[in-house]
Formats: sequence, C-alpha cells, structure tokens
Amino acid sequence: MDVVLEADRLGKRYGRTWALRDCSVHLPAGRIAALVGPNGAGKSTLLHLAVGLLKPDAGAVRVFGRSPYGDTEGLADIGFVAQDTPLYRDFTAAELVIAGGKLNRRWDAGLARNRLAQLGIPPDRPVGKLSGGQRAQVALALALAKRPRLLLLDEPVASLDPLARREFLQSLMGSVADAGTTVLLSSHLLADLERICDYLIVLNAAQVQLADSADDLVAGHRQLIGPRHDGGPIGGVAAIVRASHTDRQSTLLVRTDGPVTDPAWTVREVGLEDVILAYLADGSTQTSHDEWGVPA
Amino acid sequence: MIWLTWRQHRKQAFFTLLGFAALAALMVPIGLSMRHSYADLGLAECVRQLNDPNVAGATREACEAGFHRFTNRYGSLNLVAVLLLTLPVLVGLFWGAPLVAREVEHGTHRFVWTQGVGRTRWALVKFGLVGAGALLAAVCYGLGMSWWVDPLTQSAREGRLGMIVFDLQGVVPIGYTLFAVALGIFAGTVWKRMLPAMGITLAAFIGVRAAVAILARPHYQPAETLTFPIDGTSEPRMERGDWILSQGIRDAGGTMVAPDTRIMCPPGGRGPTGQVCGAELGLKPGAYNWQLYQPADRFWLFQGIETGIFVALAALLLYLALGRIRRIA
Repeated sequence: MDVVLEADRLGKRYGRTWALRDCSVHLPAGRIAALVGPNGAGKSTLLHLAVGLLKPDAGAVRVFGRSPYGDTEGLADIGFVAQDTPLYRDFTAAELVIAGGKLNRRWDAGLARNRLAQLGIPPDRPVGKLSGGQRAQVALALALAKRPRLLLLDEPVASLDPLARREFLQSLMGSVADAGTTVLLSSHLLADLERICDYLIVLNAAQVQLADSADDLVAGHRQLIGPRHDGGPIGGVAAIVRASHTDRQSTLLVRTDGPVTDPAWTVREVGLEDVILAYLADGSTQTSHDEWGVPA
Repeated sequence: MIWLTWRQHRKQAFFTLLGFAALAALMVPIGLSMRHSYADLGLAECVRQLNDPNVAGATREACEAGFHRFTNRYGSLNLVAVLLLTLPVLVGLFWGAPLVAREVEHGTHRFVWTQGVGRTRWALVKFGLVGAGALLAAVCYGLGMSWWVDPLTQSAREGRLGMIVFDLQGVVPIGYTLFAVALGIFAGTVWKRMLPAMGITLAAFIGVRAAVAILARPHYQPAETLTFPIDGTSEPRMERGDWILSQGIRDAGGTMVAPDTRIMCPPGGRGPTGQVCGAELGLKPGAYNWQLYQPADRFWLFQGIETGIFVALAALLLYLALGRIRRIA
C-alpha cells in the first residue's frame, strides 16, 4: 500500500498554543480522504504543513517521501486550493490559466480551459466578479491543471450554497476518478463528505481522533441500546466511544471487535456521520474548564 | 514570473508614468523660466566671477543684487522643492508596501507560493523587477530634479550641500527610493496588512531620513573651521556653496560669546556714540568670527556616502524580508 502523505508525531505551535499536536496519520494512495473537525481543530494547519507553507515545530510530515517545507521540486506533485479559494481578483480566468503556465513546469492549460469552458465560466471577466461557486471552480481547474498526484483542498465548499456545493463535489469526483489522484479535503460539512469520501481523518482540539477508511469505520461501529450500563465490559465491544443515559436505559456508540451477542442490547448499524459526531463530541473540554475556573 | 509581475504591477507602473508626466508638465515650464531669468541676470557669469578671490567690489555688489532679484522672484519655489522630497516615499508606499501585504491580505500568497516556483524565487524575482522599476523612476527623478533645482541652488548662498536641495539631486534619490521600497516590502512582511504596512513605512521613512540628515550627514567628514577677525575690509573669500554647520563670535579665550552671528566693521570703525566694534554685543578686544563648515567640493563625496548608507539599509531590509517570507503561511 503506497502512502502518499505521512505525518509522524507532527506538531505546529502558534505562540504557546499548539494548533496541531502529536498528529500521526498515513494517507494511502488513491483515496478520497476527508479531513473533518470543528473550526480551529487544526485542519488548515495540517494542510499547510503538507503543502510546505508551514514548517513543523515537532515531528515530521512527508509527502511522496519528501519533506515539503522549502521543497520547490515537490510542489509540482501537489495541487492545493486554499480556504476561500484565493485568486487574483483582478485577473480574468484566462489570465490565471496563463499565470499558472508561467509558474509551473508541468501545466496542462488545455485541461483547465476545457473544464472552464464546460462549466460555462467566462474567460474574459475578472474572477473577482464571478460567483463564489464559479471562483471555486476556477481554483479547482487551476489546481488540476498541474496534474497533481495529491490534491489538497481546504474547505473548498464551505462558502458555497448547497447547489454549487454539490456541483463542485461532483465535478471534483469526475476529474480525479480516472487520473487516480489522491485527494485530501477538509470540511466541517459532514453530509457532503459521506457521499464522496472513502477515507476519513477526524481532528479535534489539535489532535487526531480517528483515521481509517470509511467502510471500516461504518462496519466497525454499532449503536447499542439497552438497560442502564454501569461501564462493565460487553462481549464484542472494544471501546465505548460515546454513551448517553436515561434513568433506566443507556444508548452507546461503540467500536466493535466482534459480533455483539448479548441479548440485552439492541444492536443498530450506524452511519458515517454518527460515528464522526461521536468522536468529535468526545473531544476534550478539560482545558477550557480550567481556563474559566469552573468545575468540569 | 516576469509575466505575472508585469501583470500585477502594470497598473502601478501606468500611474507612476502618469504622475511623472503630470509633474513634468508642471515643472518643465517653471524650470525653463527659471533658467531664462538666470541667464538674463547674467548669474552664471557671476558664479564664475565670485569664485575669483580678486573680484572687484562693484562686480560683487552687482552680482549679489542679481542673486537677490532672482531669489526674490523664485525663492518661494523652495517650498515646492520640499513637496518634491516626498516622491521617493510614495514609491515605497505604493510599490513596496503592497508587494507582500496585499498577497497575504487577500490570501493569494497561498495560491502563488504553492505553484511550481518556490516562494524564495517568487520573492527574488519580484524584488528584482520592482526594484529595477523603482531604480529607473529614481534615476529619472534625480536627473530631472538636478536640472530643475540647479538655478535655485546656485543662487542660494549655501549651495547644493544645503538641506532639502542636497536631498533632491544627484544620486541620493536612488538611495532614498530603493530604501523606501525595501522598507515597504519589509513592513508588509511584518504587519501583513496594506494600510498598517503603508503607515509604518511612512513613519519609519521619515524617521530614518530625518535622523540621517540631521545627525549623521554633518559628520560624514570632519568639518572644517574658519576664523577671521571682526574688523577688516572684506570677509575672507568664502566659496559659494559651503555648508555652514554653525557659526558665531568667540572671545580671545575661545569661548562662544555670541552664537549664530557674525560681524564685520571697517578697521578702526566706531559707532555713532563712539563705541568700539562689537561693543553692543559685549565683545572685548581679541574677539573673532568663527564658523564650522563642510566645503562645497565635498558634494559628490557626501552624495556617495549618503546613497551608500540607504542602499545598504535597503539590502538589509530585503534580506530580512526574505527570511520573514519563508515563515508566512
């Protein structure tokens, strides 16, 4: 299994706050991976470290086996679309395609032009005057024209309306499917990711909570409903991710390591979104309580 | 990269050209008229004659009168010259400060620095091209100003070493302009927003320029002193254009008794009430005029030193900016 992106105890600090800490992730080749987490979880930081914009303060990150910070050669293999899809707003889409050609040794201008033509984006209007969805499409077309082996997208759909969001993700899927490009896109919009992603990395409070293929995640988690649970072991359950209790009944989201056969429990399958939410809710809030001086 | 730089900065280049054209349209007629009057009053000839130690008293008076007329007519243009001093810092504000700050403010640095050229190369090409543009503008400005301000300088007693006129002509505008651009770029890498970067650039430019002009420039070379008695037929020949740093009257012991003045009485002259020369200032016999000055022929040496200082500062700032750019994400 080829590993495209590999982080080993990776950390990045801004002042005294760790934006990312002890992050160890492997992203296998050919996956469409989602980087999920609430705002401020460290998603952008991880992506910036991967594309070499940031220098790690601890640990290491390698993309195609190379350390990306200060590595100009390695940039050719990475397509990156930053948050809010920044582009020179006074440039027209056609000029941006030319600019990309001047800035990259490997550049498929035809691909970019074809995509933009198909999407009906005017070539001669400044991109600042395009709609948010169109601008995101221009940014994606520019990233794809590099013919990258790894495509990193930072919140590409966050500012788009639902329709534009779906169109963007569809066109993204269409273009990376045949090229075999590995994609890592960050988002906090879970519903969209469930449809397109086959790998998941969950970040919360600067740390990796979960990293696995989507199928394994769905297969490996179950919801159990049964009598009030006091924390004792249950057959087939590896760990309880989240528990909520009423007086007489407990609802547990668990990671399984075998079939749950205990008849006291009603076993239900879970969706990817439930699993993600369970892990996000599990994130530590202890520091916040300490800082506010209130008991947790 | 060159295409991109041109595409991003062509608007600024266009407006700079437009500004130059407007300035030329205003200044060239004034300059021509000044030169015309200068020639009509025969002042070029005067400058040559006054440098002759044996010049006749009548010629001297006639020439001084000519200079006086010229200064009366065009002296107010010195205020315009002060305004022209601000042009280099404008280049720093509108070319230098946005270079990095605008990219970061709009987030486009994340686009351009993740393309195939690294950000170091991006920065070097940008610094080089914008620097070359600024250099070209500064050379044009320096030449134009030297031509324009020359009659004003010639007719002013302190000459081209004087404050303000020294800063306008020769090669120093090149140093100032490059420094302003480098300062703008550096401020942009520190504050990363256009307006604060421009504000800081303006403040720092004024501060550094004033500090160098007031504190450092008089000491580029050891100043020379000139002493002469308070009674005599004529002042010792002073080269026109010497830059007088300070002057006054000292007593026989060398103590300054009347700063910022000089007097000259005919030998043995007495005042209306019969007092001796300088008695109303409380001078005792043995007092003499004293002045500290930089000779006029040091003009190009001083220009060279001042330009060197600002070019070195510019290089240092660009080096620091490069280091900071590597750490912006």
